[in-house]
Formats: sequence, C-alpha cells, structure tokens
Amino acid sequence: MFAFLARRLATLLTTLAVAAILIFAVTEILPGDPAAAMLGLTATPETVAALRAELGLDAPAFVRFFGWIAGFFTGDLGISYAYRVPVAGLIAERLPVTLPLAIMASLFASILGITLGALAASRANSLVDSALMAGAQVGLAIPNFWFGILMVLLFSITLGWFPAGGFPGWETGFFKGLQALFLPAIALALPQGAVLARLTRTAVLEALGEDFVRTARAKGLTRGQTLRRHVLRNAMVPVITMLALQFSFLITGTIIIENVFALPGLGRLIFQSVGGHDLVTVKSLVMIYVGAVILVNALVDIAYGLIDPRLRFGRGVGR
Amino acid sequence: MIGRALRHPSFVLGLAITLLVLGVAFLATFWTPHDATAMRISARLRPPSATNWLGTDQFGRDVLSMLMMGARNALLVGVVAVGIGLSIGVALGMMAATREGSLADEAIMRLCDFTFAFPAVLTAILILTFLGPGLVNAILAIGIFNIPVFARIARGASLQVMARDYIRAAQAAGRSTFGILHRHVLPNIRGILIVQASVQFALAILAEAGLSYLGIGTQPPNPSWGRMLNDSQTFLAQAPYLAIFPGAAIALAVLGFNLLGDGLRDVLDPKSKER
Repeated sequence: MFAFLARRLATLLTTLAVAAILIFAVTEILPGDPAAAMLGLTATPETVAALRAELGLDAPAFVRFFGWIAGFFTGDLGISYAYRVPVAGLIAERLPVTLPLAIMASLFASILGITLGALAASRANSLVDSALMAGAQVGLAIPNFWFGILMVLLFSITLGWFPAGGFPGWETGFFKGLQALFLPAIALALPQGAVLARLTRTAVLEALGEDFVRTARAKGLTRGQTLRRHVLRNAMVPVITMLALQFSFLITGTIIIENVFALPGLGRLIFQSVGGHDLVTVKSLVMIYVGAVILVNALVDIAYGLIDPRLRFGRGVGR
Repeated sequence: MIGRALRHPSFVLGLAITLLVLGVAFLATFWTPHDATAMRISARLRPPSATNWLGTDQFGRDVLSMLMMGARNALLVGVVAVGIGLSIGVALGMMAATREGSLADEAIMRLCDFTFAFPAVLTAILILTFLGPGLVNAILAIGIFNIPVFARIARGASLQVMARDYIRAAQAAGRSTFGILHRHVLPNIRGILIVQASVQFALAILAEAGLSYLGIGTQPPNPSWGRMLNDSQTFLAQAPYLAIFPGAAIALAVLGFNLLGDGLRDVLDPKSKER
C-alpha cells in the first residue's frame, strides 16, 4: 500500500515537473526574447529593454524558473503585462466564475448522464432505450458552443428567461449569479452527459448480468430495489472514474464556453492573454489548468488502487 | 461481412451521412450556387429565399455556398489530422510492441501518457499562438494529439497479435521484423485502427470548428463552419438562421463519422455489441 502511494506520488510530481519545464520553455525560452515577443514588431529597443528589466529576464533561465515555481506557493506570480495588475489577483478574481461553472456543469452532466443511462439500461432494447441512446449520440455530435448559442437564441432572445451573456458578480445576489451561469453550465454539460449516459448504460447492463442480482431478486427484492441497492452501486465505479477523467474536457471547455457567454472567468482570461501575448499571465494560467488535470487524473488512479487492490500492481487505469 | 454491415442501422445511417458530406465537399470543388467569398453588401443579412436558399451573411455572402466550401475544409482537417496520427502513431506503437519492455517502449508510452495529461484544446491554442493562426497550423495542432491515441491502440493490438502462433512460425521461417509487422500484424489490427480513425475524424472536425470559432483556426476569406458560428453571434436576434445552419452542418458531419465508427466496431468485432 505504502509502496503504491509512494510510486503514484513520484509519478505525479515528475509529471508536474515536466509539465512546468515544458510550459516555461514554450513561454520563456522558445520565443527567443519574451519581451520582444510580447511587444510585437513595432517595439523600440528601449521599450524592449525596459520590459526585459521589469520581467527580470536578465537573470539565468533556471533562476527565473524556480522563482516562478516558488510564486505558486507565495502567491507572487508576477504582474500581468496586459492588465498591469498582479496575476495572482487576476486569477483570484476570475476563479469565482470558472469554478462554480465547472462544478455546476459536472453536476448537471452526472444527473443527466446517470439517470438517463440507468433508465436506458433498465429498459434495454426497448423503444425508450433506443430513443435515449440516439439522443446521447446526437448530444455527442453537437458542439457545445453551438448548443450554447442555440440556448441563447431560445431562452435569452426569444423567451427572455436568462441573460444572453456576461456575469453580474456574486455581490449582486446568489440567484443572479446562478442564473448567469445556468445556460453556460448546461452547454458544457451536454457532451459530458451524453458520454456518461452511454457509459452508465453499459456498466448497469454488465452489473445486471452478475450473480448477486439474481440472488437479490431471488430473496424477493423488486426490480427497482435491486437496481438502486445493488446494480447502481456496482456500476458507479467506472462512471465516477469517467466523470473525473472528463474533468480535463470540462475545464478546457470553459475556454470556449466562457467566450460564447462573455463570462469573465479563467477560460476567457487565458484566451485573451494568449491573444494579447501576455506571456506572464499565460504561463501561470496554463500551469494551473494543466496542473489541475494532472492532479485529478492522479487522484482517480490512486482512488482506483485503493478500491481495487489488483490495480496497485499494474500500471494504473486504462492501460 | 458487407451483408452484416448493410443490416446494421448505425453503420448504414453513418455511411449515408458521411457520403452526403463527402459528396457536398466534392461538389464544392467544382460548383457552388454562388461564389462563396463574393461580398454583396446590398444583399446583406437576407433570410433564406429562392436565390439564396440558406440566406446571406453580414457581407451578403451566400450561406449555402459557404457551408459547402466549409465541408471541404472540415474534411481536409479530418483527413490530414487523422493521417498524421495514423502514420506516426501506428509506426511508434508497432515499434514499441516489437520491443516490449525495452527503454524505447517505455519512453514512447510515457510520452503518450504525458501528452494525455495536457488538455488538447489548451495546447492547440498555445501552439497556434506561437505558430500563428491558420488552417495548416490548426491541422498540425490537432494532428499531434492523434499520435498518442493511435500509438497506444496500435501497441496494444500488435502485442495481442504477436502472441499468436503464426507469428512465431513466421519468425522461425526467418522473416524480418518489418516483414512480420507488414504482412501479419498490420492486416490484423487494421479493423480497430479504422474504427478509431473514424472516431478521431469526428473529434478533429469538432476541434477545428472550436479553434475557428475562437478565431485561431481557418482564416477568412476561407469559409469555415466554426468561424461562421462566431460571426453569427453578433446578428443572433436579427438573423438567427446564420447560427443554425453552420452548427447543424458540424453536428451532422460529426454524427455521421461517430455512427460510422460505432457501426464498424459492431461489424468488425461482433463481441463488442454484447458488452
């Protein structure tokens, strides 16, 4: 057990370190002179020199790298070039939009996916099953940003139920904040919900074929009771794993969806910073996104190992 | 096998949709109802009519012609991005399989794991920031992420095939490793690769649409479905049809390739249907 955890932790730290080196290389070493890259072709040598001094680019690369990494622990990630404010502050300001959005989307996706998937499995090969699985297939094909635009068309422009975009801020009221995030969360949840519905159906069908189901029915439990108490519980392991692994798609989905709904979150910030060549902000934001994905994947791997001891000796999930 | 395929509803529907998209893209090479890039400001934002079946956009361009040209674009992305993944990924995966447990195998597989840890859209955005926006760079950015997908699948499937007796027989008969891979392994893993290729094709179309929606994929005046959707948002209240048609085109193309993949999986591997 201890060896398993130590091995997973070592892999996690190595992956994070390689990711950090790669991101640092792409943003600070590959462009040649990051100051010149940020200022563009029209910059004078004086302004480039001034920015170089401001960013501390004259220090050796490894000193800058470790300074940047230390910043994640001290909260000093430098000053954003485009916004002229501390990057850490920008992130703290935008996180209350992206985090609730991602949580709401996960919630919607799980409710939608697990309920419909279980329903389809319990009526396997019926018309309901076929209709639900056809719906899931369409849900997978619809780009989430198009779904977002269609919802704006219907619920904002035609019916006026929700704002078409923007975020009023949580200080204007909890309900108003939720209302602004509702459509974006649904748009993000659609493809994830479709994936989960298909997976839940397969997992439930597999569990339905197990001996313990026959035992449960034989001892007099109804179909519904068996489904709730025995089948769903067993089918949930792969579904929860998938939900966690889908996290990667979900948080990158925020980059596009926050643009569709003009939400001032991390996704929009990353896109604007990339567009504005604000490498100071891009570097730390990308690290946060990638770090979050790596961390979640590692946690899933560890949780899997804890649940199923056989996996501790293998190479992990899905290999 | 063809008989079984033609009785499979998802396969038939997927094939029909895919052929429709292919047909439209092929037709667009020779003919579109109007010039897809010609602007006529006097005819801007016209709703669907007999002259412009799907209406005109904010520059008076014919939406149907743009959609047709967009189909060519989407297919080009799919073909090249999946081609990159297939050619490099399968070669790497098979090479890793022949040297199972070696340093090269370990290095290739760890590199694949590592690529999976990076969110694809985010990395594509980063790559496009440095290489500059555009169709070719978008295809490259999408293609890179197909490499580990095919490498993993090719390695796993090759290992299974290589454990069979006829491979040992071929080795005993003195065939070279390359000869064995080419003559015996590749034909046996072709099915699983084709299935995955159609899934990746659909994902590539979605990814390009997303990147073009963000303005860093296909650049104007080349029509692209994602970019059309982005442009449509400004005129959503005035001209909702501008948002409906390009999105429907993306969804239809993706649905077609996904269904084709599902159908092929069932036909090529009947056991998977029971699962």
